[in-house]
Amino acid sequence: MTDLKTDTMFVNMGPQHPSTHGVLRLGLTLSGEIIVKAEPDIGYLHRGTEKLAELRGYHQCVVMTDRWDYVSAMPNNLVFCLAAEKLMNLEISSRANYLRVLMCEINRIASHLLFLGTYGIDIGAYTPFLYAFREREMVLDLFEMACGARTTFNYIRIGGVSADLPQGWTEKCREFLNYFKGKIREYDDLLTYNPIFLDRTKTVGILSKETALDWGLTGPNLRGSGVPYDVRKTDPYCVYDKLDFDVCVGETGSCWDRYHVRVLEMTQSIRIVEQCLGQLPAGDVMAKGVAKIPKPPAGEAYAHVEASRGDLGIYLVADGSSAPYRLHARAPSYINLAVLQEILTGLKLADVIAILGSTDIVLGEVDR
Amino acid sequence: MNGYFRSIYDGFAGTFKGLRVTLRHLVLPSITVNYPLAKLKPYERFRGMLLFDPATCIGCNLCIKACPSDCIDLENMKTPEGKKIAKTQWYSIDFGKCNFCKLCEEVCPTKPKSVWHSLDYEHVFFSRHEMVRAWKQGDPWVGTYWDPKEKVYVIPEFQIPIEEVPSRR
Amino acid sequence: MAEAAPAAPAKPAFDPKAACPDIRRRLWASKTKGTLLEGRLWPSDLWPHPWISESYRRGAFVLGAIAIGAIALAVGLGEIGAPLAALHEFYRQWAQARLPEAPAWSVEAVWILVKAIVVLHIILINGLFLVWWERKISAHIQSRLGPIFVGGWHGWLQTVADGLKLLIKEDAAPAQKDSWLYRIAPALAFAPVLLCFAPVPFGRDLEAANIDVGIVYVFACSGVSVLGIVLAGWASANKYSLLGGLRSAAQLVSYELPRAFSIVPMVALAGSLSLTKIVQAQEGYWMGFFPKWFFFYPIVGQISFVIFLIASVAETNRTPFDIPEAESELVAGFHTEYSGMKFALFFLTEYAYVFLAAALIATFFFGGGAAPTPLLSVIPSWFWFLSKTLFFVFCFLWFRWTFPRFRIDRLMDFTWKFLLPWSFVNIIFSIPYIFL
Repeated sequence: MTDLKTDTMFVNMGPQHPSTHGVLRLGLTLSGEIIVKAEPDIGYLHRGTEKLAELRGYHQCVVMTDRWDYVSAMPNNLVFCLAAEKLMNLEISSRANYLRVLMCEINRIASHLLFLGTYGIDIGAYTPFLYAFREREMVLDLFEMACGARTTFNYIRIGGVSADLPQGWTEKCREFLNYFKGKIREYDDLLTYNPIFLDRTKTVGILSKETALDWGLTGPNLRGSGVPYDVRKTDPYCVYDKLDFDVCVGETGSCWDRYHVRVLEMTQSIRIVEQCLGQLPAGDVMAKGVAKIPKPPAGEAYAHVEASRGDLGIYLVADGSSAPYRLHARAPSYINLAVLQEILTGLKLADVIAILGSTDIVLGEVDR
Repeated sequence: MNGYFRSIYDGFAGTFKGLRVTLRHLVLPSITVNYPLAKLKPYERFRGMLLFDPATCIGCNLCIKACPSDCIDLENMKTPEGKKIAKTQWYSIDFGKCNFCKLCEEVCPTKPKSVWHSLDYEHVFFSRHEMVRAWKQGDPWVGTYWDPKEKVYVIPEFQIPIEEVPSRR
Repeated sequence: MAEAAPAAPAKPAFDPKAACPDIRRRLWASKTKGTLLEGRLWPSDLWPHPWISESYRRGAFVLGAIAIGAIALAVGLGEIGAPLAALHEFYRQWAQARLPEAPAWSVEAVWILVKAIVVLHIILINGLFLVWWERKISAHIQSRLGPIFVGGWHGWLQTVADGLKLLIKEDAAPAQKDSWLYRIAPALAFAPVLLCFAPVPFGRDLEAANIDVGIVYVFACSGVSVLGIVLAGWASANKYSLLGGLRSAAQLVSYELPRAFSIVPMVALAGSLSLTKIVQAQEGYWMGFFPKWFFFYPIVGQISFVIFLIASVAETNRTPFDIPEAESELVAGFHTEYSGMKFALFFLTEYAYVFLAAALIATFFFGGGAAPTPLLSVIPSWFWFLSKTLFFVFCFLWFRWTFPRFRIDRLMDFTWKFLLPWSFVNIIFSIPYIFL
């Protein structure tokens, strides 16, 4: 009974750790550098937006959705507006629908760029971060031109979008797309196919199809495991059924596959944006007859979109008053985060960062 | 054996590709702006600091109702009999709460808008009290804030001169 | 009682200084004066024609001028090894004339002390310069400008300002630290690097000490620094530091081996362990123009160079091998809990080792102070040595800002399963050269 006694070490990773992407706390029990147990602890950014929505009008709720996934706020705006429009039976003009898709897709590019940059930092490469932000800055400039804000847009409104594109926007957008196509090749050289990067990510954090489906993952994390589930294809909204694009899937479900799916999705987004710019019809961008303080009839509606991080759904219950009776968001980051506790066990400390980074969570959406 | 040498070659080739990218950027010009010495002018629709013009405001309270975070407050001017008239007595905006969502500007019925987003993006506050900008009778149009230490109303100075970058629609 | 209350004084005119007595606000005011740029310059506008940018043209001109000026200065100064030897001789005669009863070793000791002080200053100035240079290089690689204000020209005084800040900074330390070890660790990391520079030949006849087993000496001294890092990790009473320190011990000890074995062929070719002798063995030119540097010996030279370069990067704890201070995993690794001057010592150590590694690469593979062609021999040897060293320092910086980081177990695999076997194979490859 007198064996050499070794002990495990408990490390609090976060909420003030450089690479927990905000305020996630991971309670890690380590044996040497090997993880014995990992417990994600969330709630540091909880603002109770679902409850706050019950006290605010429908227009004001759109502002609040900006603050969930602040990295890609356009799909958040969109999904709330889709749900509210379902309640109100509003007809959206074709131009507004195209603009919504356009904005969501360039927001997807911006969001994946942020992922690419921060994932580079997680793995230890600093330069891709600055490159990704340089390109992201151009996307944010486009947003600033169109709606006046750079991250929290409040652009997609109930009944359409808040403003038509300004003069010269489409030319700027095309300029960006042409420039950005070359940059993806650069990221391939610098990060995607870098041997050290491949070594760090190709065999790490493998999520099988079954595990991914069991834990209800969506978005690039699920597609990285090889499941071609994309709301844009399975349940098309706006004008996605008129657009031609591919659903990118990975092979093994490793960190690198999740990363690569996002890089490929950026090229698909470029395709979608180019088609939108080509097909953009003329017309109004706002439906007629949307009340300043809308009071939809009592009922319930569920809408979901393919946000940058996965299947973002909103369940909205109206009771005939000017505020929603209940709002519930199915936040993809929150559900994607849960799988961590299963796959982290038995890996090295450095892999925690690689896997956590590859799931691409935004704590604003996790905690809401 | 062949695969072994192949992997070594791939490793070095991949490494050099990355080095080439960074070297090319080293000799390309920088794209950043020396911020305090040179500033970017925002685009026309930019939603910066809210401004309020007492001369055009009719005190209709629509902005208060539109605001999702209760950051705007105002009081109508009253006749000696106590009846409200279409003028404001005071008007305050709490930038600590403001969402910069443009809903207040959109509902404002006056032309030009009485409350609007300027292009000023240098929101610098050294205390929470400074965040509450209020306009009251006799104040300059940018308003004042209450300084609890000195027990005076202070005119916010040293923001970007809004006269230089107006964006009133 | 008859008089009415005095009327309220008239409101004075608005005075910004009186309204804002806070110094911070006034500083902010002085900084916010700036020009407003109309329109944004996107990279897609600027990069197809970089030469239209006036500042870009000016920068290229200034860099060219600096290079030409430095070469001109070097040619004007000429070789400084011989004059220094003459100075030494003069000093010895002067000392013997003034103090005839002083023993010869004490006279020599004073001269060695002077040399040590000179080397120390080289390290310190090198640290200041390299930090600034790294920040500029990294900034320009990342399309930024880097430090730009302090000192007027591209922030050249930035590191001096940072150093002053570190000097006067509060020395915050964890309460549960192992006090004595915590204090001695930075010194233990820094002191060996000072010793390492002794046998490095900075040019012709320009080494602090001509040690016959110079290579062994350098590797032995630099090995001691590991101790400082491990102790720092242990004494900080921080779990991240502990992990960083232990990783560092494993990594540095492992990479010593391929690093030492990779230069065995060079030692065999030169027939000596002295750095000066190795430089001398590389003098001369094949066919009158091609330098006889060890790097140009087919196969052996290149393999040695690559292994030595990789192992050197690992030895200096820099990306892609910065496992001990891996920021994204271990916050700051072994120096998480250090601040002020103690932190500065770790910083200095790192940059001194970078300089040392680059100097050793230049010495072993690129002929030390030898000119690449006989024609360029007018430029003195110390200048060649310095430019070669700075080129390899640049390579270190360039690697750092390009690559991601290894994982600790893959790092170990890399050295034990790839670098070390290849350094042995390389020794076998070098046999024909030795007998030729």
